[in-house]
Amino acid sequence: MGQRELIRIIRSFQRRLNIADVIQKSIMALYVGAGVGILFQAAAFVVPFYDAALYSVLALLVALLTAVLTAFVKRTSMRQTALVMDRFGFEERIVTAYENIGQEGALIEFQRDDAMSQLSLYRDRIRIPLFPSWKKMVLLLVLLSVMPVLALLPSAVKERAKELHAVRQEAREKTKEIEELVDSLEEFAQQDLSQEHKAALQEMIERLESSQMECEQAVSSEQLTAASNKLEYKYGTMGSELAALAQQLQNGASVSTMTPESMQALAEKMQTMGGMELAEGDSMQSGSNQNGQSGNGSQNDQNGGQDGAGSPNGQNGNGGQDGQSGAGGQNGQNGDGSQDGQNGDGGQNGQNGQNGDKSQGGQQGDGRGTGSSNTPHDYVSIPNDIADTENLTGNAVNHEDSTYFRAQNGLSWEGVHMSHEAVLGNYEQKAYEGIAAGRYPSGMEEVIKQYFSSFNQ
Amino acid sequence: MDILDKSLLQNPGYMAQRVAACELEIQKGMIGQREIIRQVMIAMLTGGNVLLEGMPGLGKTRLVSTIAKVFDLSFKRIQFTPDLMPSDVTGTNIIIKNERGSVFSFERGPVFANLVLADEINRATPKTQSALLEAMQEHTVTVGNDSHVLAEPFLVLATQNPIENEGTYPLPEAQLDRFMFKILVRFPSKEELRGIVELTEGMQSPDIQRQLDAQGLLSARALVSQIPIADAVMDYLLEVVMATHTPNTHIREGASPRAAQAMIRAARAKAFLEGRFNVSFQDVKEMAYPVLRHRILLSFDAISEGVNEDQIIQRILEDKKI
Repeated sequence: MGQRELIRIIRSFQRRLNIADVIQKSIMALYVGAGVGILFQAAAFVVPFYDAALYSVLALLVALLTAVLTAFVKRTSMRQTALVMDRFGFEERIVTAYENIGQEGALIEFQRDDAMSQLSLYRDRIRIPLFPSWKKMVLLLVLLSVMPVLALLPSAVKERAKELHAVRQEAREKTKEIEELVDSLEEFAQQDLSQEHKAALQEMIERLESSQMECEQAVSSEQLTAASNKLEYKYGTMGSELAALAQQLQNGASVSTMTPESMQALAEKMQTMGGMELAEGDSMQSGSNQNGQSGNGSQNDQNGGQDGAGSPNGQNGNGGQDGQSGAGGQNGQNGDGSQDGQNGDGGQNGQNGQNGDKSQGGQQGDGRGTGSSNTPHDYVSIPNDIADTENLTGNAVNHEDSTYFRAQNGLSWEGVHMSHEAVLGNYEQKAYEGIAAGRYPSGMEEVIKQYFSSFNQ
Repeated sequence: MDILDKSLLQNPGYMAQRVAACELEIQKGMIGQREIIRQVMIAMLTGGNVLLEGMPGLGKTRLVSTIAKVFDLSFKRIQFTPDLMPSDVTGTNIIIKNERGSVFSFERGPVFANLVLADEINRATPKTQSALLEAMQEHTVTVGNDSHVLAEPFLVLATQNPIENEGTYPLPEAQLDRFMFKILVRFPSKEELRGIVELTEGMQSPDIQRQLDAQGLLSARALVSQIPIADAVMDYLLEVVMATHTPNTHIREGASPRAAQAMIRAARAKAFLEGRFNVSFQDVKEMAYPVLRHRILLSFDAISEGVNEDQIIQRILEDKKI
């Protein structure tokens, strides 16, 4: 009877001890969490730390969770409870009696009775507070309230952190996008291609990786914009190159080792890839420098393509307002791609241009055909009065042979004068492309960047 | 067992009361020195030998004789001197002539008593000191080829003067270890001294009554040895002893396993004397001093810095959190 009663009493105190332990550990954890949170918030005033508030809350939660888990894992045993009870003047009577539960003997029973009688007399002495003192609670509340106050206080460093965060987020998106493209290109490169094509694909990969690094290293919106501009230009360039490569594969001209089926599949893949890139590149360009060119709607593109194929209007399409006739001639995707992109248009239109030669719009087809070359395009501005003539086959200045002219340069726009900003943008893209490809001395790269960035300021 | 009903031994509470009565009776014959009386009582209840260190005239002999009266025990006092021989302590074989001729007969020495007071034990040579070793540890005396069992209870209370070191032979560690306690007898306070003077110089000597006999004391010992110790208390006790072996610039050599055994027994007896039938942390703490102080060998650093054994034990107890 005495044993059961002893166990019952110890268990009741054990429960209280465990509850008190959870509460006190939690409060201690909140102290630590609040301290760490305040440190984070204070750090946000010194160094850019966008997620300071999030980390502060996380520190609190982690500390609290740790405390609860620790309290659960290290919960007080009956024996420990008996020892705690003994501290209130029982001189280890309770723990001794508890450890001898189940044992018999005159002395053991006498000891147990002694412990029980002491417990019945002085049980009130055992005080196990659930909560700490009110001073500690007030201190905790103060610490917890300091955190949001610090979080809400504005500062220039916080603004900078916000900007940096936005830049990094955008850079991450770009990086992810580039990684996907690189993966696709690497897949292509693993196909049964000629060394020349593989080298071209490898070069594209390197260019993309260069842009990826730039995006990753961007620490300001200006740097990210510059990197994005370069990337957009690369998209456009590579789109046309990929499209040309796809066409070559489709024609089977330069590849001998691949079967026609796999070649066709690869070509479709690459065309799809090129179309995507074109679309992205074009849309980005239209957003930056060449809005005037992207003014052509998708319907026009398709019409242009159709026209190029079956009517004299095809010239207009080829004439290159948008360069969509070629794209339309191939497929809808190319048409989309050619809506806006300059270079993409060139590549795809070249294909159509060939078709056009065979059927109707030879001149225009030739015009596009020059664009299908892998060489970079020069930008040529042709006044309306020249562009409107039907004899756009040669160099207006040198009266050179049109074939030669197409082979060297490709793209021309009907009656479009490029603005100063567009020209500057193109030069900037070229310059960045050169930096990415390592064409300039390392010491000059910063000079070039500063030169072009000075125009943006 | 003439004054105790055997059935009462089954009642630990009653036994505790009887032993407490013994302590009170001893206090009648000794003014002050309550701590000394308590520690000697603990030694009585555990069968441990006691080394009393203090100035002459502090009542050491009176204490032992009072204890002998209260427990109705035989008492012998041996004054240790440099020329004391071992046979003077243990006894020797002598030739006795009788009708059958001459035979050797063992003549018991003063060690054959329940209580032996070895006064100024450090004045005897180590050879004579060692004569007590077997008696203290085995409770037997071997002379020639014969071993003689000492009567139980057997207890040696030795004294030594801490000041007069000239012409003394410090006890070796092996013999020191045989003493359960080393008790420091301090000079009494003025009030205590007044009481001592009135008691000893008065016309009436105190009437000391026998409270327990030898058998009763042995029964009490048996009871004390069964007092349970909680695991936590035992752990604490062992940690205190082990702490004397941890690297410490003030300790040259730590306590032996006998120290742990002595502390357990002493803590049990102390609890019993306080009417408890369990050992507390406080019991262990209080018993650490008399049990450990003569078992810790001080290093040169400790001696040069003036650090004594009690200070080291105090630090150990402070470091060991319950």
